[in-house]
Amino acid sequence: MAMQPHSKKRVCYYYDSDIGNYYYGQGHPMKPHRIRMTHNLLLNYGLYRKMEIYRPHKATADEMTKFHSDDYIRFLRSIRPDNMSEYNKQMQRFNVGEDCPVFDGLYEFCQLSAGGSVAAAVKLNKQASEICINWGGGLHHAKKSEASGFCYVNDIVLGILELLKYHQRVLYIDIDVHHGDGVEEAFYTTDRVMTVSFHKYGEYFPGTGDLRDIGAGKGKYYAVNIPLRDGMDDESYESIFVPIISKVMETFQPSAVVLQCGADSLTGDRLGCFNLTVRGHGRCVELVKRYGLPFLLVGGGGYTIRNVSRCWTYETSVALGVEIANELPYNDYFEYFGPDFKLHISPSNMSNQNTPEYLEKIKNRLFENLRMLPHAPGVQVQAIPEDAVNDESEDEDKIDKDERLPQSEKDKRITGDGELSESEDEGDARRDNRSYRVPQRKRPRLDKDAQPKDDVKAEDSKDDVKNVSNMEEPKKEVTSNA
Amino acid sequence: MAANMYRVGDCVYFETSSTSPYQIRRIEELNKTPSGNVEAKVMCFYRRRDLPNPLIQLADKHQMAQSEDSPVAMKLKKICLKTPIGEEQAAQAVLDPAIVAMEEESTELPGGGEGLPPKQRHQAKHRELFLSRHVETLPATHIRGKCTVTLLNETESLLSYLNKDDAFFYCLVFDPSQKTLLADKGEIRVGSRYQTEVTNLLKEGEEDTRTSSELETLVWTPAHGLSDRQIDQFLVVARSVGTFARALDCSSSVKQPSLHMSAAAASRDITLFHAMDTLHKSGYSIEAALSSLVPASGPVLCRDEMEEWSASEANLFEESLDKYGKDFADIRKDFLPWKTLKNLVEYYYMWKTTDRYVQQKRVKAVEAESKLKQVYIPNYNKPNPALINSAPNAASKGAVLNGGTNGTAAVSPSLCASCQVTNSNHWYSWGPQHLQYRLCGSCWQYWKKYGGLKTADVFGESEAEVVRSARAEGEETALSVSHRPHRCTVVNCAKEFKLRAHLARHVATAHGGPGEGARPVMKTRAAFYLRASPFTRLARRLARALRRPRHFARSPFSPINLHQVKHECTIAMAGLGGAEMRGAGAAGVPRARGPVGAVATRLAAALGTAAPRAQEWLVLTPRDRMPTPNHVAFPKPPKAPDGSLMYERVLSRAEQEARRNEAAAQAALPAPPALKRRAYDDVNGLDRGAGGASGAREGGAPPAKRPNKHPAPMQRPSREQYAAMCARAQATGQPLPAHVFAHVNGKPTNLTGRGGRRHVISWMDAPDDLYYRATEAAKSARRSLSCGDLRRGARAPWRAMRGALVGVGALANAGALLGGGALAGAGAGKAAGAGAGAAPLQLVILD
Ligand SMILES: [Zn+2]
Ligand SMILES: [Zn+2]
Ligand SMILES: [Zn+2]
Repeated sequence: MAMQPHSKKRVCYYYDSDIGNYYYGQGHPMKPHRIRMTHNLLLNYGLYRKMEIYRPHKATADEMTKFHSDDYIRFLRSIRPDNMSEYNKQMQRFNVGEDCPVFDGLYEFCQLSAGGSVAAAVKLNKQASEICINWGGGLHHAKKSEASGFCYVNDIVLGILELLKYHQRVLYIDIDVHHGDGVEEAFYTTDRVMTVSFHKYGEYFPGTGDLRDIGAGKGKYYAVNIPLRDGMDDESYESIFVPIISKVMETFQPSAVVLQCGADSLTGDRLGCFNLTVRGHGRCVELVKRYGLPFLLVGGGGYTIRNVSRCWTYETSVALGVEIANELPYNDYFEYFGPDFKLHISPSNMSNQNTPEYLEKIKNRLFENLRMLPHAPGVQVQAIPEDAVNDESEDEDKIDKDERLPQSEKDKRITGDGELSESEDEGDARRDNRSYRVPQRKRPRLDKDAQPKDDVKAEDSKDDVKNVSNMEEPKKEVTSNA
Repeated sequence: MAANMYRVGDCVYFETSSTSPYQIRRIEELNKTPSGNVEAKVMCFYRRRDLPNPLIQLADKHQMAQSEDSPVAMKLKKICLKTPIGEEQAAQAVLDPAIVAMEEESTELPGGGEGLPPKQRHQAKHRELFLSRHVETLPATHIRGKCTVTLLNETESLLSYLNKDDAFFYCLVFDPSQKTLLADKGEIRVGSRYQTEVTNLLKEGEEDTRTSSELETLVWTPAHGLSDRQIDQFLVVARSVGTFARALDCSSSVKQPSLHMSAAAASRDITLFHAMDTLHKSGYSIEAALSSLVPASGPVLCRDEMEEWSASEANLFEESLDKYGKDFADIRKDFLPWKTLKNLVEYYYMWKTTDRYVQQKRVKAVEAESKLKQVYIPNYNKPNPALINSAPNAASKGAVLNGGTNGTAAVSPSLCASCQVTNSNHWYSWGPQHLQYRLCGSCWQYWKKYGGLKTADVFGESEAEVVRSARAEGEETALSVSHRPHRCTVVNCAKEFKLRAHLARHVATAHGGPGEGARPVMKTRAAFYLRASPFTRLARRLARALRRPRHFARSPFSPINLHQVKHECTIAMAGLGGAEMRGAGAAGVPRARGPVGAVATRLAAALGTAAPRAQEWLVLTPRDRMPTPNHVAFPKPPKAPDGSLMYERVLSRAEQEARRNEAAAQAALPAPPALKRRAYDDVNGLDRGAGGASGAREGGAPPAKRPNKHPAPMQRPSREQYAAMCARAQATGQPLPAHVFAHVNGKPTNLTGRGGRRHVISWMDAPDDLYYRATEAAKSARRSLSCGDLRRGARAPWRAMRGALVGVGALANAGALLGGGALAGAGAGKAAGAGAGAAPLQLVILD
């Protein structure tokens, strides 16, 4: 199956018309109303009629306790603004009160948000859809027994748990400006879920997401954190997103992807500090969509609500593979979008503190970590070319013994399928100029006995996996589309 | 100009003192004050130089841990930075032998110390900042440019910061109030309480219990066979039906008197969503959908909250919003109980699109105008006061001259104190004034921005000292109240205080005096004296550790091993009898040096020069040929029959107390309030009113300024001690110290604590430095005094001058009249401080 940049996919969209009326409280930046604004834009853009629209069920306590602890969910179910005083101790224990206030309908709100993501995951499992969208989900900070960062129930974890019934490996990508700590923590010790989070790091909520946090136990190297600084713009973002994601796809070989589309990474966000435009943000959706994997899109942060609804509207259009006009259609909340009433927004003149060198260094470090992954099962095993043996043994001396084995194993066995084209582009001039990494990239290409690459995916073919390696091509196509 | 546009979130230099380095702040808010100025609410970054020393050491260890992922470093990191570290723990951590050992170990690790050459390592220290949550407000006009502060990532080398101007990094967060450092890093927790149980893959043939039908309800499907055009048409029809329905509806026709308004109301999203739902429910049959739009009951009318609400409800809502803000629960309770919360929230978000809201917003926008997003600050061009003003040539000439005469300067002032260049367009004076250091333009810029000198080796080890004193200098000339706290310079203390006065108090109370630090922490040091207890005195003689009195006298801050002293003393004392101990405890036998002439001869011999002929004036007059004074200043008291001296009895404290109470009870006259500053005469009365009065004063809780400021020990010597002192005085021919007479017989008062502790008189009591400037009248009055009167006056400056004060006025005390002479002498001046009332003299208090 060839890559289809704007391919028509079966898209399912989850929405409950009540969601917009939950209100976190005076002055609280989290406004579920933004989900309704998005919904109204979708209707008036004519995107609504192109998707399957579902009203999700309200997730039951049983469903939520697949991840969360029983007492925490029991607490969420019983707490109300009028009986808060009886729960002082538990409120402290579960971190409910300040950032995560008790508001009217709190539990219902969690039920709808979680219900959407779970239903969406089941939908993907049944292969009844290729892309599912739940803008009411994406509450990535919620912990097993603790609310955090405006999130109470972690719909993402619940959704991924559902996906794991059918998918050996699930990839979670988080483009919220905040670190996706709740999801990362939930899956920190498993190798079946890789969490990849791009976020502002340093003196920023929730404080986790250091480059060195890479997972633990079996999950070591399955948490990928990209710490970023203020002012990330579209170009920088793509320059780190593309190589990291393609490397992750290539090494982890997931069979389903969940993308948290927190819109607080947009320029001008009330709480964010990045400088992304709607286009740059949506580009991530587009890039992930191209892998053709079962794809769950959830919302997340986003506190300048006019931009959040712009963003998610655009990203819905990207998921649908439909182009929409920059001119916003009239809708109930049209006045929110003044003075320009356009879909797309311009970046600000804030300075980007992420220098290309910084991003390059981060990228290289993460690549090193990803190279530690044992080869994914089902990936073709390949004979070691004879000419590489000497080089290899030299290298082995330099590597820590414990960590050496899986890595060199992988280096030796994995074919070059999905390798970045960079090495090819380098041409023959570098063939003999072997650095530590280059020969491993080149080796498969030199090896005449390598089997046809298509065989590699034999086991994953059920999920119609296409490992898209060349990120250059789609880029070109997009520019021609734009 | 973007460069001069400062936005919220920018990191900037702030100049709060012209001579000290810029302060680095991040703009959190920009507010316009009523006077039209812009104030910046800023968050503080601290430089290394702003942090207490133990914390810096800790930070360095953390840095080391950061830069290496070695197990040692990891261990270190855990020890040092587990939780916020208190000052004490910090000090402990520094001393923790385990860490010290690890430190040594780790310096041997490859790549330790970043592998930077020393100069870069030195400069890298200037680029390290410490984030704080401390927020302050500064005038935006003090902004002096932008900089960047980023969290150091371990993939980065420090060199990448050095290669960029105005680039700083931070790793740790400093809490100035708690004086703690902590790593700004959250933690992913591991354990069954945090991770989820991972669902297993369904096995072959295993049933998934999930069915989508239970989880969702289909509301719309794109698989319907209708064209876009057909759907659009249906939507138009739905709107038309809605318009017609409004025309038929009485309540609507009142609200929407025109067809336009009805049509607009019928075009709201709720009608469209309903139309889509209808279409879906009708199985995407336009026909079926149309008929359900127009059921028998009449055309369907969909109204959202916006339309549902009456004008009076809308008014109520606005009123309540004004009153309660967006507390919808309260609004509902007190204003609109017939609405649900959901009604209110939905209405609120729609109401925000209305003109009424927009108008209100405009009013609010005017109010909010004081909050700015950015501010334009032009480049600051005024010359810095430290700029050396004369033309370069003249300046360097002058400097050379100065350098010639001033041999103390370590670096010739004609050079840049940092980079040693001799040519620069601008020169800035830097560091303590008397050292006359100057910096070239570029080094000055460096100093201002990075808070240090480019090279560490110019002053060798002492750079820190220079910088420190320079800092003190800078503080003196601070333009505004500097944020930087005043820090205690005593080793291992480093407490910080907002006000210099508080620091002074701290130094006085906690450390018993001005600390080691070179910086002038206060105008007047706390008054204190060291009272050596008998044991201390004994120890001085017995303990070997204290055998270098000259050394310790020169460097009073150098530590003494108390344990060793105690140990040696106990051993030595074990072999001493009580009498011997007393003898040892009392002031020791003076070393016999022989007559001055002999000393001079000996010295000359030692120096190798010919022994000078004994000068006649060097030869001491034999005791018996000494002239006897015709007036004995301190006549000896009469002898008792047993040969001991008889002294006038001084009342014990209890007795004084009792006597005073008696007097107070008898006389109706109230005693003068203890805290009231005494008038001159009151103080003066002391002299006339015999020694007893002095004792009586002592009883008052806060000791007021004392007229007699010989740093007199409060503890009275024991009878035996006194006898020994007198005997010695007689033997050596020295006069007895004056205070001896005042405190005979009494028991040691409780004013002095345990032996050897430094007793501190509250610094509040320490007088300001002062001197008297004698007026012409005072000078001529002095001339009229006889030699004896003058001498008497000098000795007793508080005493009223008898004798002829012809031209001067009625009462002047001796101290005032004699001014400088009397006052310069040790504590005498303090006494006279209270006597400032003397009319003809002009009192100048040194500031
Ligand atoms: Zn966020
Ligand atoms: Zn210089
Ligand atoms: Zn101190």
